[in-house]
Amino acid sequence: MEGLVGVVIGDTRIAMREDEDRRATELRLVRQAQAGDLVAFERLYRENERKVFGLCFRLSSDPALAEELTQEVFVRAWRKLSSFRGESAFSSWLYPLTVNVALSERRSRRRRDARIVATEDPASLERAPRSPAPEAGFDLEKAMAALPPGARAVFVLHDVEGRTHEEIAKLLGLAPGTSKAQLHRARRLLREALAS
Amino acid sequence: MTCQELDLRLDDWLDGALAGDAAREVEMHLAGCAACRERERQLRQLLAHAAALPRSVAPPRDLWPGIAERIGSGWSSWLAWGARGFQPLALAAAAVVVLGLAALVVTRVAPERVRTVTMPTASPSATTLVAESSVSDPGLAQAEREYEEAARALLDALQRRRGVLPDEDLARVESHLQVIDRAIAQVRAELLKEPDNPELGRMLVDTHKKKVEVLRRVVRLSTAL
Repeated sequence: MEGLVGVVIGDTRIAMREDEDRRATELRLVRQAQAGDLVAFERLYRENERKVFGLCFRLSSDPALAEELTQEVFVRAWRKLSSFRGESAFSSWLYPLTVNVALSERRSRRRRDARIVATEDPASLERAPRSPAPEAGFDLEKAMAALPPGARAVFVLHDVEGRTHEEIAKLLGLAPGTSKAQLHRARRLLREALAS
Repeated sequence: MTCQELDLRLDDWLDGALAGDAAREVEMHLAGCAACRERERQLRQLLAHAAALPRSVAPPRDLWPGIAERIGSGWSSWLAWGARGFQPLALAAAAVVVLGLAALVVTRVAPERVRTVTMPTASPSATTLVAESSVSDPGLAQAEREYEEAARALLDALQRRRGVLPDEDLARVESHLQVIDRAIAQVRAELLKEPDNPELGRMLVDTHKKKVEVLRRVVRLSTAL
């Protein structure tokens, strides 16, 4: 048993060292990017693009819009990079920015009568991003897309992203009680979709 | 507990936010109500689906080029791209080469001087003012020099094409350039207050770039006439 405990402790230490190394590398890249190094910023982008795109996609339910939102997030991140102090992971710093961009852009775009999508690759508008195959005929992505925006945002942040109601309330500028009510609504609608 | 009350508490119970008596009440109701057990089963199934979704999703195409295009016009990013073989002088040089003005003799002018640049308008008093630079960053000062050299070369080329463009067009260009020069002066003033602000540095070079682009278009137009 002691041997197994030793292995677990050893693995934990290795994981912690790897995490520290990762943080140190990330911080170095951030410092370089803050000094204007676009190559360093591209590495930060590559490290975070999937998480940012995933969140933008789920919050917007629109693959083409999610591409634009992801680009907007990183453009704004570049502009605001001087405010990153390195006290948290870069991805943690990026998270509220992503939520803010995704929700505010979606709101402003919804107000427009029509949206013109500019892309060098029109076929990409037809392609949905790769997501897991729906189980037994139930496509959760599709069902989430049909939710009212407020309920969808809270469901995504709570049940997909694992955020607490307190964190969601802070991110969305809501009372925690409102977040709970929106989650209840979203779960009820999705449960009905699942049952149908 | 009624089924309606259970519905209101089921989320908290499943999320582990209920404890003690409140949790026991939910459990007791579920033990005796098949309809609510079915609702609980569906909800657990839904949460399992949600938990199984990957947080990371690959974009269908590479989004970086679009991002780089939007943020990559600053001086510092040019210097960084220089490591990949891109020369910081590329745009300034291209502005001259594209116009077939390679033979132009470009005089280096330190950006730390105040000077006026004469526009080739009909009015002899027409000038654009280039405000005094106090940029302390050597890379940024170098970028400014390069842009100013390109702008000067284009102005010289335009001077030689004087008479081709209508006076009112040249007056409009001059007005445009004066706005740009005022913006350059303002950004420089802000840089004095915040010399380490990279955003201001990028803004300064972007403004220089706009000036070169305006001049390049005008010269191109004048050579096409």
